[in-house]
Amino acid sequence: MYEKIDDYRWRIPRSYKPGMRVPGLIYADEKLLKDIYQDKALEQVANVAFLPGIVNNSLAMPDIHWGYGFPIGGVAATDIEEGGVVSPGGVGFDINCGVRLLKTNLEYDDVKDKIKDLIYRLFSDVPAGVGSEGNIRVSPKEEKEILLRGARWAVEKGFGTNDDLECTEENGAMAGADPQAVSERAVQRGKTQSGTLGSGNHFLEVQVIDQLYDRDACDELKLNLGQITIMIHSGSRGLGYQVCEDYSRGMIASLAKFNIKVPDRQLACAPVSSSEGKAYLSAMKCAANYAWCNRQCLMHLTRKVFENFFGSSWQKLGMFLIYDVAHNIAKIEKHKVDGKEKDLCVHRKGATRAFGPGHPALPERYKRMGQPVIIPGDMGRNSYLLSGTERAMQETFGSACHGAGRLKSRTASAKSVTPDMLLKELGSKGIIVKASGRNTLVEEAPSAYKNVNDVVDVVHNAGIAKRVCRMRPLGVIKG
Amino acid sequence: MKAAYKLIEHTADIGIRVKSFSLPGLFKNAGLAITDLSFQKQTSQYPRKHNIVIRQKAANLEELFINWLNELLSVSAVEALVFEDIKIIQINDNFVDAIAIGSDIRNYKFSAEIKAATYHQLKVGKTGFLWQAEVIFDV
Repeated sequence: MYEKIDDYRWRIPRSYKPGMRVPGLIYADEKLLKDIYQDKALEQVANVAFLPGIVNNSLAMPDIHWGYGFPIGGVAATDIEEGGVVSPGGVGFDINCGVRLLKTNLEYDDVKDKIKDLIYRLFSDVPAGVGSEGNIRVSPKEEKEILLRGARWAVEKGFGTNDDLECTEENGAMAGADPQAVSERAVQRGKTQSGTLGSGNHFLEVQVIDQLYDRDACDELKLNLGQITIMIHSGSRGLGYQVCEDYSRGMIASLAKFNIKVPDRQLACAPVSSSEGKAYLSAMKCAANYAWCNRQCLMHLTRKVFENFFGSSWQKLGMFLIYDVAHNIAKIEKHKVDGKEKDLCVHRKGATRAFGPGHPALPERYKRMGQPVIIPGDMGRNSYLLSGTERAMQETFGSACHGAGRLKSRTASAKSVTPDMLLKELGSKGIIVKASGRNTLVEEAPSAYKNVNDVVDVVHNAGIAKRVCRMRPLGVIKG
Repeated sequence: MKAAYKLIEHTADIGIRVKSFSLPGLFKNAGLAITDLSFQKQTSQYPRKHNIVIRQKAANLEELFINWLNELLSVSAVEALVFEDIKIIQINDNFVDAIAIGSDIRNYKFSAEIKAATYHQLKVGKTGFLWQAEVIFDV
């Protein structure tokens, strides 16, 4: 099925499946590839290669695992000029699920004896869990403002600063969002969920930096060993699910209309330049903006908890945003294909944008080091901060992995450990966990995931992102 | 009402297999499987009950099945109801008309969040006397 290119790259040739327009390219080492081969993710990489207009390769990051339509950890870019398509299945239901990383000027010694109280306070004040409703209530008119203006809406409400927007992908709002493209049902599903974490693999984590790799980048970011960081992982909640569902229905009809043949209907798609493609992108941008607003509100709530807990302003606590990245999204970006600059529709489904140094989309402060790339691991091991590279621009449309990647199914994970065993095991490592549901806890056990250290080794060694520093968890709240 | 279904292994999401001797029974079992996977009853102290009419059209049976499940998920979220029973009034390959009997969501504890039903590896059909469907949910 696949052939070795080098120690970190493997190819699925076009001959594997008639209809593949480009080869598959998998970033993995032999150890990870053994696990990847166990499920149907590689078959999905081959299926994505059927998309009209796809260029270069159907890409798979080392955290790849079996999804629906696209694999999780899949990247595909289509050439708009050549009839390239956009597929809602290449973004997923949780549009702009993503992660943000804040630094603080607190050190491990400042929190080590207080972490349990801090986590319980965060759990009390940051709404988490399925169906959780936030205290940030908005009128229908305001919700439409959120769809247009994303995180900027929150900042203008006093939930952050312009500096936060500068450190958010797309400055926290994609241009071209059209609330008219979003159904009333989707608006209704989103109306009580601003500022809520959600469930599943979403989390808020207090961490400590335990390893520095790129000293220059760490100096630039003012990051040191023992420093406390906070990571927030959430998305567009019910609003995003409804947008994807609404447009997936229409895209099924588009397959016949545009005579598109794909091996999985969850890859249903339409040309980016068609009315169907444009309408989906307008609605998707609304959901993406809603998600950036959501993570901005979650960060605001987190800052408030820290202010009350430590009796100091968040500015004095140094709680500044390092960066916020989307990892379920489709974007129109310029990339070189065969030496020529093209407008591509880049799908990142469980993959992070990782633009290299000097890219015009980056704020001035990150022009030298490249875009911060935030990779959460599981709740028992590490998370990473990396930086984008020029090689990623050449090979992966400026993309890298998005996490550790699942290894075991939720049911298998739930059978292998009890909540009490898991809490004891994490407690023995000094990690406090508060979760809304006991099911979520065991489904998200560290043993359900690949080792993030192995995944990050591959992206670093392949040169598509560069390690900056590593964090380990001290306390986690889960939905 | 207890749903009859079996789980199918999937690395990231949840898959189910449902069976019935009739097409209405298949749709009902799949709908109630969502309730069973997502909620656990905690109390009956909130008396609000609401019957919701669910009508869906589609080009074929598989699309109808997905539209049906996603409509149940969506209405449940918007109306804050858990569907405890389902009555199929009329069904064919292209149309379903049903009543979903909902109870106040506050009587329940969430156990999982199903975001949507997907087309990935979807199977809906009849073998001999038995209707059977397999579907993967995004969770």
